[in-house]
Formats: sequence, structure tokens, C-alpha cells
Amino acid sequence: MSKGSIELEAQLIERIVDKRKELMARAEEEAKRVLQAAEEECERIRVESEKQILNVVGSELRAVRDRIVGTAELEGRKLLMLARDDLSSSVFEEVEKRLWEIAEGRVEGVDFAEVLTKFVIEAASAIGGEEFIVAANERDLKTLKKNLKKVRARVEEALGGGDLKLDVKPVATMGGVIVRNSDGSKIYHNTLEGRLKNVRRRVEASVAETLGVI
Amino acid sequence: MERVLSIGGRLQKLIKEAEMEAERKVEEAQNRAKDMISQARTEADNRRARAQRGYDIEDLIQAEEEKATKEAAKVLEDYRKRADAIKKTPEERFEEAVNLVLREALPG
Repeated sequence: MSKGSIELEAQLIERIVDKRKELMARAEEEAKRVLQAAEEECERIRVESEKQILNVVGSELRAVRDRIVGTAELEGRKLLMLARDDLSSSVFEEVEKRLWEIAEGRVEGVDFAEVLTKFVIEAASAIGGEEFIVAANERDLKTLKKNLKKVRARVEEALGGGDLKLDVKPVATMGGVIVRNSDGSKIYHNTLEGRLKNVRRRVEASVAETLGVI
Repeated sequence: MERVLSIGGRLQKLIKEAEMEAERKVEEAQNRAKDMISQARTEADNRRARAQRGYDIEDLIQAEEEKATKEAAKVLEDYRKRADAIKKTPEERFEEAVNLVLREALPG
């Protein structure tokens, strides 16, 4: 065999080996691509199926969520409401404390005798008529007795007349007056606790707003 | 020269075999892919059908419960923070509210 023939043979073998390698590599790649695409399709089917299942059981899942989150919402709102109520109550407790101090004449700059006079005028105006009987606690009765002339004059001035008498029997109250007409058919409670109760009903929302809790 | 031609014939045969092997490989992959997809479809159909009858949804329910529990904890924590903030209301606001009530309770 000539040298040329051997070289030709070697070249031929080399080309065929390369071609085989190329064919197999291409086939490997194609097989890999096919399997990869299949895996992606399987994943898409699974995801789509889970979505459909979620639609099927959606109402049950919503019920589960609503039950758990709803309970937390309720509990949270209760916490918030309690905190608001506590703060609001502490405001009214503080006011009550200060009203006691005012009624006992322990607050500088507030003349409780003047406050009592205004309470009497306010009550008498609301009742109307000519004759008024004023009841109060022991301390306030003393104050009113001491200033009776002045109080009568102020009532007269405000109402254009009217007779004022003090009820000697003291009533249990924080302070203020209970005024009635002569036959007792009309009574006006102008006590501090009564006023505070009314005010609380009226201004609770404003208080919450001032506190910044609504 | 004759020898080279004879080798050429054998090599052509080798190429043919390689082509066939390559085709078989791709075909195998295609068949496997078909099986995979078919199995996934069957599983999905079965699971959907069972879910429609209310079976095998415990995992979904449990997952939803876990998700909701985390959400609930966050909701509650948020309310707790708001409640704490209320408890820490500044003194001047408190005083302002007290004065507002006092002004209303006492005659002007």
C-alpha cells in the first residue's frame, strides 16, 4: 500500500469519526431540549391545575382566612377600643378630681361661691316661676347662706324677680344645687356630678378628637 | 485504491448506524417527554376531580391556615402598636381634653 493511500484512509476515518461525534452531540442536545420543554410543560400543567383547584376550593380557603384574620381583627379592635375608653375615662376621672378641688375651694382663681350662684340662676331660669327652693350639700348650703343676699339679687336681676329659699336639709352631692319650684312639680339638678354626666355624653367625641384617638 | 473504497463503504455504514442511533436517542427523549406530560395531565385531572369532591385539600387548607395565622399576627401586632400609642398620649393633649371638659362642666 502506498503512503498516499494510507494518508487518504486515515483522513477518511478521521472525518467519519468527527461526523459521528457531531451527529451524537446534536442528538444529545435535541433530546435534552425535548426533555426540558416537557418539564416546563409539566410545570405549567401543575401550576394551572393548582390554580383551578384553588378556584374550586376558594370559598373554603376564604372561610379559613376570614375565621383566623377576622378573629384577630375583632381582638385588635377590642384592644384599641379599650385603650381609647381607658384614656377617655381617665380624662373624666381627672376632671372629677379637679371639680372636687374646685368645690372645696382648693383651686386658686376659681370662686366656687360664684359658680354656685350661676348654677342657681341657670336652674331657676330653666324652671321658671316666682319661687325657688335650693338644696345643696352641707358645705355649699353654708356658702349659699353666707351669700344669700347677693345670690337673691343676682337671681332677681337675671329673672326680673323671684323668691329664693334654702332647703335646710343637706343633700349628698359633690357640689352644686338642686332647685325646685314651690310645689315641687319642677326640679332642676344642677350638681357637679349631674353636669359632668351630661357633659360626658355631649363631648365624648370632642374629647377623643382632642386626644387624637379618632 | 480498491482498499480505500472498501474502507469507504464500511465507514458509510458506520455513519448510517450513527444517524440511526442519534434518531433513536431523540425518539426516546420524545417518548419520555410524552409520558411525562401525559402523567402530569393525569395527575392534575385526578387531583382536580378529588378537590371537587372535597378530598386531598387538607394541604391547601393547612397552607391557608398558616398564611392566615401569620397575617392575623401582623394585624394584631398593628392594633397593639396603635393601642400602645394611645396609652402614650402626650400630657399636653390630655390636659387640653381635661380643660375642654372643665369648660363645659362649669358655667362660663
